[in-house]
Parts: sequence; C-alpha cells; structure tokens
Amino acid sequence: MEFDIFSNLATGFSAAFTLQNIGFALLGCLLGTLIGVLPGIGPIPAIAMLLPITFQLEPLSALIMLAGLYYGAQYGGSTTSILVNIPGEASSIVTCIDGHQMARQGRAGSALAVAALGSFFAGCVGTIFIAAFGPPLAAFAQQFNSPDYFSLMVLGLTTAVVLAHGSVIKAVAMVLIGLLFGLIGTDINSGLQRYTFGISAIWEGIDFLPLVIGMFGVVEIIRNIESRELPRALIGTKLRDVWPTKQDFHDSWRAVLRGTGLGSILGILPGGGAVLAAFAAYTVEKKIAKDPSRFGKGAIEGVAGPESANNAAAQTSFIPLLTLGLPSNAVMALMMGAMIIQGIQPGASVMTKSPELFWGMVASMWIGNLMLLVLNLPLIGVWVKLLSVPYRLLYPAILMFCIIGVYSINTNVEQLIIMAIFAAFGYVLYKFGCEPAPMVLGFILGPLMEENLRRTLVLSRGDPMVLLERPISAALLLMSLFVVALIVLPQFRKTREEAFQE
Amino acid sequence: MVRVKSPQDFGAGAVFIAIGVAGIALGSDLPMGTAGRMGAGYFPMILSSLIILIGLVTGARGLSIEGPPIDRFHLRPLLFILGTIAISGYLLNWTGLLITTVIVTVLAALARPKANLGEATLLGLGIGLFAIGVFVYALNQPLPAWWGR
Repeated sequence: MEFDIFSNLATGFSAAFTLQNIGFALLGCLLGTLIGVLPGIGPIPAIAMLLPITFQLEPLSALIMLAGLYYGAQYGGSTTSILVNIPGEASSIVTCIDGHQMARQGRAGSALAVAALGSFFAGCVGTIFIAAFGPPLAAFAQQFNSPDYFSLMVLGLTTAVVLAHGSVIKAVAMVLIGLLFGLIGTDINSGLQRYTFGISAIWEGIDFLPLVIGMFGVVEIIRNIESRELPRALIGTKLRDVWPTKQDFHDSWRAVLRGTGLGSILGILPGGGAVLAAFAAYTVEKKIAKDPSRFGKGAIEGVAGPESANNAAAQTSFIPLLTLGLPSNAVMALMMGAMIIQGIQPGASVMTKSPELFWGMVASMWIGNLMLLVLNLPLIGVWVKLLSVPYRLLYPAILMFCIIGVYSINTNVEQLIIMAIFAAFGYVLYKFGCEPAPMVLGFILGPLMEENLRRTLVLSRGDPMVLLERPISAALLLMSLFVVALIVLPQFRKTREEAFQE
Repeated sequence: MVRVKSPQDFGAGAVFIAIGVAGIALGSDLPMGTAGRMGAGYFPMILSSLIILIGLVTGARGLSIEGPPIDRFHLRPLLFILGTIAISGYLLNWTGLLITTVIVTVLAALARPKANLGEATLLGLGIGLFAIGVFVYALNQPLPAWWGR
C-alpha cells in the first residue's frame, strides 16, 4: 500500500475538485451552519433528515455533503453561543461561557474570528492527521479477524458508555437495547424472522432513519414545545471589529494549538468526539491559565481552545470509522449508515478498494473548512437574523422535513408509524433520564457484533476463551476493562461529573 | 412499605425489564443453537438477559438512592405531534405534499395551547410550496406534489 501522504492527498483533491462535489460541499456547509445556528435542531436529526436526498447521489458526493453538514453545524453552533448565549449544538456549550461574555464586552467580533480561525487551523491539522494515521491504522486493521473485531466493538461501546452524558448504567442498558433492536428482521445466517410479527416493513430490519429521526428530531420538538418559548437573549452586539487585535492573537494562539492537539487525539478515541473534546479543552485552558479567575468573564482562551478542539475532533472522529469500520459516536453511526446504503462497507477496505472515495473525502474536509471560514464571517449578520425567527414558526417546518425525510426512504407509510413509535419511546426514556445516543451506536453495530461473535465461536468450536488467546483481541478487551475500571475509581468519576456539570 | 426514592431510575429500570422480558418471551421460538453454532435466538437471549439484569440493578437503585423526580408528561404536544406523524403518510398518498403540509402545520400548531390557526395555515402554505420546490422539483424526490398518487 502507498503511504505517501501527498500523492494520496493529490488523488483526493482531484476527486473532490469537481464542480458537482464542490457544490455539494458548499450545500452541506451552508445547511450545516443553518442547522447549527437554529436552536432546537441538532446535527444528528439534521443529517438523518437529509440522508434520503443523498441516496441518488454518487457515494463521494453524498459523503462530502453529509460531512460538510456535520462540521458546518459545529461552526454555526459557535456563532450563536457567542452572540446570543444559546448553544446551537452540544459541542459549543462551553463556548457560551467566555464567548458570550466577550460579546457583552463588545468583543463579539474578536471571539467569532478567533473561533473561526482556530477552527480552520484545527480542521487543517485534523485533515493531515487523517491522511497520516489513516493508512497505517487501516494496514493494521487488515490483520484483524472476527475475534478482534468483536473485542474492538466491545471496546468502542464501553468507551461510548463511559463518555456518554448522564448515568453510566442507563447508557449500558441503552447500548444493549440498541444491539437488540439492531437484530430485528431476517437473521442473515438462518433466514429466520426475528421479532417482525409479520410486519413487512421490518422484514429487512428496522430502518435506522425513522429510529434516529424519531428519537432525536421528534423528541426534541416535543421537548421544546413543552418548555414553552425558547428564551431569546438578543443583545445589541456590535460587529464593527470582526478582526481580532494583536493582543487577542497573542493570547489565543497557544490555546488553539493545545485545543487542536487535544481534539485530534480525543476525536480518534471510540466514544470520543467533538463534545468531549470541547469540554476537555476548556478544562485544560482553565487549569493551566496563570489567572483562572478570568475564565467566565471573557477569556479569549476559553473560546479559542474548545472551538479548535471540537473542530479537530469532528475531523479525526472519521478515522475509526474509515479505517476500522467502528463509529465512535452517533453522528459517525449515521455516516456509517449512509455508507452502507451507498453499498460501501466501512472499514479498512475502503482505502484499498476505493481510494478516490477515501482521499476525496479527506480532501473535501479541508475544502469544507476553507469554505466555512470564507462563508461564516461575512454571513454572520444573516445567521443572527435567523435567530429572531420564533420557534412556533420553526417547529412545524422541522416536523414536516422529518416527515418528508422518512417518507422519501421508500414512500412507505409504515415507516412514519415506526418513527412515531420510536418518538414515543424516546420521549418516555428522556423522562426517565436516558440518553438516546448510545442506543443508536448499539443499533448500528448489532448485526455486525452478532456476526463476528458467531464466526469467532465457529472457529473456536464454541470456546469463548479464544477472545483472550488472540493478542489483538486480548489487548482490546484489556483496554475495555481498563475503561470500566476508570469509571469505578472514585477520582475519575468525580472529574467526569464535574466535566459534564460545567 | 418500600418507597421509590428516585422515580427516574425506577421507571427506567421498569422499561428495561419490560424490554428484556419481551425480548425473551417473543424470541422464545427462535432456535438457540450452541455456542459453536449460534442459532438465531442465541445473541438475542444473551442481550435480553443482560438488559433484564441491568433493569433490576437500575430499579433497585431507584429504591435505594435519592434522585430527581420525573418531569410531568405533557400529553397535548405528545399526542398532537405523534398523531400528526402517524397520519401524515396516508395524507401524503391521498392529498399530496401541499395539502398535507398545511394540515400537518395546523395540527402541529395545535400542539401548543394558544394556537393561531390563521397564521398556521399561511405558514403551512409557505412551507408546502418551499418543500415542493426543493424536494419535488430540485431534488426529484418521489413525492406527490399537488395531489395524491
């Protein structure tokens, strides 16, 4: 296999630099920013809603657009965090703390520019990270066998559980429920129907779009209506000085570097991703600052660090998906679903079988980041205007787009009923304090995990010890155990709670 | 008398146990096979048992550790939104995208207490025309636009 980063990137850029693909990258970025700006709709339902549109596109164009949507949402989220103290999206919650304070002091322009430039820098580094670590990791993954894959999924799901919000034990249950739901449909091995009750719409398994859109998109709408009108704290933000001062640059460049490094690493971890990276970066900045009391009162490092980190992580969280076939969070699970629909099995083979696709996507990430930088700053005024649209006018449109998205899968009315059922299910679980994200991960991995377990046990004639006899598998399981041990240790538990509290 | 200290945990535990029991009961006719030759029921049974186990632990925590109460269930938004979704597919087949959007928008507006139906109708027309432009004409999605199929 060719390990030369630059010739690979050249392949990618030539694949991505077609008028069509650039158009889809632009569309993805614009829609993503829009979604990031609008409160009450996060990237997960948005990507799910727009997935059916991409069915008829070429695989590369489809993935480019969806990826653009994802990191566009990151940018959009930070804009509203800074300007109006409403995080459009979970990974920019910490940006509110200092970003909005800066805006109140009339330094909104600086905060926005530092966020955008930091994100762009992080995006560039993230792209190089993928290009550099993707191939060796994929080569390593070639040695993986069924037991190793099974253990890898155990590790991925364990980490996802530990890093999920809220109660760990509920997250474990949600993962298991997801795995179980993933098995509904025809068993590929025996051809037997499992839990289908003769309903033809689920013979081939429950479609993941009605599940995801129901549990995220629709539940979100109901929750927002319940809590009456969303608070609007539009302050008179002056946007005169969009360019940061020399002092701002001086104060923030180290935070950008640290955030990028931290984000790139945390993005790769299974279960990691943009949200975790942003929280971690903020904590680090606060810890190492000479004067931590400035934080919460408009410290520019508190914007630069987390914003760089969430973008870097958004980028590098593609690595486990593209090289190991393991989605590290719910957004990546959606990307995995999109790839499967396009007939691509995510994993090490993507790089060898369709290098233009892999490298084209990597290249498009950089193009997308550049687009966002160019688009975002001049368009800030437009995005802020959008925020003044009251939610009562917004949610019927979101609901209708959810419906259209699910109906477009195969114009099957039953899919909408399934969506309503999962919305009800998600609503009840939300009231009981359960997060839906781990369930989606389990749902996507269910069939894969069963198949790898089956193959493992066939090879070993039913002896599960084989999982500990193979070195790769044993190492992965040991790491899972380590992760579990972490959660039991009181000290780590305390830090985790603090991190999610802020 | 046992007292529920954390209603959220207790409720979640009950849901988990119900799912696990359903998984075992409804999958009881699936062949288990052996570890070396896993049948269609093997992995579902393992998962269902684990879910019940965790359900029991979560439920027990709900009885022993203090926790937050459950927020009130607001039936009006829940029923209106879910009902709208459930009928929307049939409406789409019958009346097409434009009329469906208007009806969906009005029903969705009714999910909130003080709904302005005139405004909702106009909004529905706007969203409907926009959706037809984007999804039917620009993106060629398989949707009936002006009237059903």
